[in-house]
Amino acid sequence: MPVAVKDNICTLEYVTSCGSRILEGYRSPYEATAVNKLKAAGALIAGKTNCDEFGMGSSTEHSAFGRTLHPFDKTRVPGGSSGGSAALVAAGAVPAALGSETGGSVRQPASLCGVVGIKPTYGRVSRYGLVAFGSSLDQIGVLGRSVHDAARVLSVISGRDPKDATCEDRDSLRLPNVPESLQGFVIGIPKEYFPPDLDPAVRRACDRAIRLLRELGAAVRDVALPHTQYAVPTYYIIAPAEASSNLARYDGVRYGPRFDGSEDVRALYRTTRGEGFGAEVRRRVLVGTYVLSSGYYDAYYRKAQQMRALIAQDFRNVFDRGVDLLFTPTTPTPAFKAGEKIDDPVAMYLSDIFTVTANLAGLPAISVPIGRVKGLPIGGQLVGQAFLDDEMLEAAYALERAVPAGEEA
Amino acid sequence: MSVTHDDVRKIARLAEFEVGEEALPLLAEHMSRILEYVAQINAVPASEGVKPFVPGPDAVRFRPDEVKPPPLAFGPAEFAPAFRDGFFLVPKLGQFEQEQG
Repeated sequence: MPVAVKDNICTLEYVTSCGSRILEGYRSPYEATAVNKLKAAGALIAGKTNCDEFGMGSSTEHSAFGRTLHPFDKTRVPGGSSGGSAALVAAGAVPAALGSETGGSVRQPASLCGVVGIKPTYGRVSRYGLVAFGSSLDQIGVLGRSVHDAARVLSVISGRDPKDATCEDRDSLRLPNVPESLQGFVIGIPKEYFPPDLDPAVRRACDRAIRLLRELGAAVRDVALPHTQYAVPTYYIIAPAEASSNLARYDGVRYGPRFDGSEDVRALYRTTRGEGFGAEVRRRVLVGTYVLSSGYYDAYYRKAQQMRALIAQDFRNVFDRGVDLLFTPTTPTPAFKAGEKIDDPVAMYLSDIFTVTANLAGLPAISVPIGRVKGLPIGGQLVGQAFLDDEMLEAAYALERAVPAGEEA
Repeated sequence: MSVTHDDVRKIARLAEFEVGEEALPLLAEHMSRILEYVAQINAVPASEGVKPFVPGPDAVRFRPDEVKPPPLAFGPAEFAPAFRDGFFLVPKLGQFEQEQG
């Protein structure tokens, strides 16, 4: 089975540049555990895919090597940051591809390109060899043309790894059976994910999917996740803070090209980092440095850590009341035009509004195509309980078989 | 929250970035907008009693403490910009130390 690999996951056979000039031409001296497990299982590593620089972006426009085109409409973006992986799967070039998630970078492009995207529970898949962006949020995920293809790859790459201390000591994920019905499942619909200004066609597609979940036998219940509105601001404090630390290593001394002409080592660092990083990475590293700096730490970073705990608690409260899974839209709109949000970072960040919560809470989530809007795909999201990825996949199998994903919503 | 050009210069220095004067206005504008947006979390009352949430295993497992060669397919000479006799080469480290002092 050919599997493409996002450019921020280390491979021995190909360059690992993370979509950045600062790692242009860089060849990793080791490969990611996920890649190693795929090869051991007989998969063929088909190539590397374009991404937003270091995974920072929601449109794959922030790559030093040019933007990735949406496979159905070249004037639009495929989403991001795993936009190259999503576009390649949607174009039929490979049945599955590895991506990575920090705030929705697998599910969001999967939704916009009409493919399946899985973000496993934090700790389900080793992060060894995934170039770090936000270490408490990062996970390798899978994009596939079907739930089965994506789940098969996830099953292979999951499981314990002594090289990653944050990887849980658990066996590989078992592939669930395709269920005949969803009898016994309780699916929660969080009202915060259906705001009044939600794109009407996205709402229609979600309503149809919810009706089908009911018809499949699931009990559907309205639930509340009251801190959802603070998820994007929380994420855009924690992730840049972690990025500012993780990206400190790119200084022109140990990796990639050196932007030289410097008379001393500090000038070397500054020139290399100033010229090597693109605009979005620079912005996030600066914001991350700011929120961690003396005088601002308590108001931003410490507060964001508290908010993260409240967001995770919201999910626990719902699951403790007998809800098995949550269903939401994956994205607020279908694929947007290239250039539409590039000059407004906050507008771009809001593309992740329905996906960042699963990363903050470390939960498994999957995006499944549920319909089209003027020919453009849209996805529905199932969020599961920690380490019940298999239960989430079971419901996703059923939803995928029931929903007319190719039809207008 | 309004970020000034001086703020950007100071943060860029902390982050070890060279930022040209021409880039300052846009960076200051974008940083102000982002920081204003994320500051809305302060609308939620202080939650001191909340236990921090950290995903992943509750306890870090240690590997056996064994000396092993790094499992690299090739050495640093092939991926570093400048490497000789077991060292990464950089210009004039002495000047950096004086500046720090």
